Amino acid sequence: MSPRQERSNMTGRTRARIALGIVSAAALVLAASAAARVHAASPIVIGWAHDSTGPMAPFDGPALAAAQIRVKQINAKGGVLGHPLQIQTCDTQGDKPTVSKACADKLIAAGAQILFTTCDVDLAAPAVQEGINKGLLTVAPCIGTDQMGPKRFGAKGKLAFSFGNVAQDEGSAMAQFAWSKGWKTADLATDSVIVYFKNVVQAFKARFTELGGKIVDEETYQDPVFHGNNVQNAVSRINQHQADVVVTSTAGAWNALAPLINGLRTLGNQTPVLNSWAGDGTYWLPKSPAITNYYFVTYANAFGQDPSAAINTLAKQVKAGTGGFITGPAAIDGVVTAIKEAKGSTDGATLAALMEKFHNVPTISGNVSFSPKLHSVFGRAYRIVEINNNTPKELGTITAKVVPTIR
Amino acid sequence: MTVRRLPELLGPAALVLATALLGLAVSVSLQNYFLDTLVKVSIVVALYVFIGNSGVLSFGHIAFVALGVWTAGVLTVPESQKNAIMPGLAHFLLHTNVGNVASLALAAGVGMLFALIVGLPLMRLSGLAAGIATFAVLEIVNNLLRYWQAIGPGLNAFSSVPQTTGIWQAAIGAFICIAVAYAYQRSRFGRQLRAAREDPAAAAAAGISIYGQRLLAFALSGGLAGLAGGIYVHLLPIEVDNVYLDLTFLTLAMLVVGGAGSLLGAVVGALAVSGLDSFLSAAENGVDVFGWHFDLPTGTSVIVVGTLMAVVLILRPSGLSGGRELSLPRRRPRVPDLPKVRAPT
Repeated sequence: MSPRQERSNMTGRTRARIALGIVSAAALVLAASAAARVHAASPIVIGWAHDSTGPMAPFDGPALAAAQIRVKQINAKGGVLGHPLQIQTCDTQGDKPTVSKACADKLIAAGAQILFTTCDVDLAAPAVQEGINKGLLTVAPCIGTDQMGPKRFGAKGKLAFSFGNVAQDEGSAMAQFAWSKGWKTADLATDSVIVYFKNVVQAFKARFTELGGKIVDEETYQDPVFHGNNVQNAVSRINQHQADVVVTSTAGAWNALAPLINGLRTLGNQTPVLNSWAGDGTYWLPKSPAITNYYFVTYANAFGQDPSAAINTLAKQVKAGTGGFITGPAAIDGVVTAIKEAKGSTDGATLAALMEKFHNVPTISGNVSFSPKLHSVFGRAYRIVEINNNTPKELGTITAKVVPTIR
Repeated sequence: MTVRRLPELLGPAALVLATALLGLAVSVSLQNYFLDTLVKVSIVVALYVFIGNSGVLSFGHIAFVALGVWTAGVLTVPESQKNAIMPGLAHFLLHTNVGNVASLALAAGVGMLFALIVGLPLMRLSGLAAGIATFAVLEIVNNLLRYWQAIGPGLNAFSSVPQTTGIWQAAIGAFICIAVAYAYQRSRFGRQLRAAREDPAAAAAAGISIYGQRLLAFALSGGLAGLAGGIYVHLLPIEVDNVYLDLTFLTLAMLVVGGAGSLLGAVVGALAVSGLDSFLSAAENGVDVFGWHFDLPTGTSVIVVGTLMAVVLILRPSGLSGGRELSLPRRRPRVPDLPKVRAPT
């Protein structure tokens, strides 16, 4: 090999080494920066399949907005064990089953580690089933039945929870309130469109009769939003059975509540009407005739009269329609507690096992407890609100002393 | 069956096959829309068997779909969860469970039997009266399923039904509907009914029992609609409100947009309208197609689908297919050369 050739080969080898060095260094820098990015940002992703246009929109919207504020607050304090929380949303467009299921799949594919759903178990079912089938902790902020769990979804239902009050607890609190008002007889008007409505009235009946009350009449009806057409029939029949209170559980947004109350008033029947959280809010009140002698229990006072200043501030920020908005941040609080107890794990089974053991875990909505049987909240302090002449007024709080068995 | 007529069957089947294959190629999330579309094909073909061949409008066929949903749903929810979903269920339904295929067969059977029973009085009617009477059937069935909790879940969703409807089962369901529709329309009975559609007086004069033929088509299409309902409830948790007015008008629109006079029209209409609706629904939540990102405002799908359906019907009143089937071009027999005749001289 001539010196010239040797020099030339040397130069080639050197160039190759330099190039290799540069490439290696660049790769190292890239890898390091990628690792840093993952470490710094690796967020805990909550996928939220919510309804922005359909029957659940008045409940989902404020809960989501309040949860987003809560997430910002948590992230401002360093996140959860150093990981920021992130909410990704998908609109179920009126809870169409196909869109709801597609939303769940889309969110899971986008990296959601925990799935949040809309606030009715039947409308949420397509998303819930996708979530639990994929092994994710699946949470509804405000489903108010014992159905978010194994009872409705079988063995995989162990992964399903709700931060809504279980209907048995809520109906029981309503019965206690009615009894404390001195109401000894009740007409029951059951809206049969969803399980929550039915269970609240069943629980009221169980607890009210246990306290010594008497049920005078029981009627059922369904909401016009779900093509129901018989609320006026129920009004006529209720009016034939005088009682101290008419008890129902129905949503103002679903167009049967105002006809029910005003139907009775039109007939000259001024009996108090008592409702659950579903009947919260003033958004559904007709201008004329104004709603009178109407009571409901709820999660939080959305009208700035709540005993908690933090809740009043949040209600104003999210322009809350009902007290249910508080279940959004409460669910975030609960999930954060579970993740911390799991030392950062977001594995569905691990989180579910920890949440089943929740006993008086503090959240912005008050203390929350679950049990292996009840994956929805019991023992919360309900706010009691009275509406007269379309004006809401807080009457205080009440906590159910027992959770009755309804079947 | 002549070879020339084969595309009448293979064309719609190929469209369904292409939809199924495309559905397998997309993401899990988007696949849901393809599954929904395939179920809609089955429903619209079921509608076509009666409406297309008889020319009588029916607003009641979704009642048979609802009965299929109910049959397959009630009989396949695991017994341990029936109490949670259907607390008032009658004893024998509470303790009766069947497998996937049996539930689909029963769904079809119940749909067919019910259509046969209600068809006995209704098929004597024609025109608007028949349409309104079938609408009454829809109302009655909906109210029974909605309020009578001894037989089902009322308005509760059929959750926990085994989700056995994947792309292939949905496609096979559509194939079955298409094959039955084809076999029927090529049969003596289908021809007689179409003859009655074109000229009832002439058909009756030729000895065709218009009532009998309509009843046969009504029962057959009720069976296919029931099958489609069974497939639907095995796809995802639905409730009785999902198989009511919206689905009635949407599927009728699909049939009319595609062209009510042909099997091809039924399939094309279902694929076109459902495909467009699905794409827009997905796009309302943001979707990527070939590198393009679509993110449309909420409510776009309702406006665009409605507008396009109106435009199609203005431009092509007989639907996208023009009421025609696919067929091979007719081969003209060659005319033999005439022997040259020498002019007499």
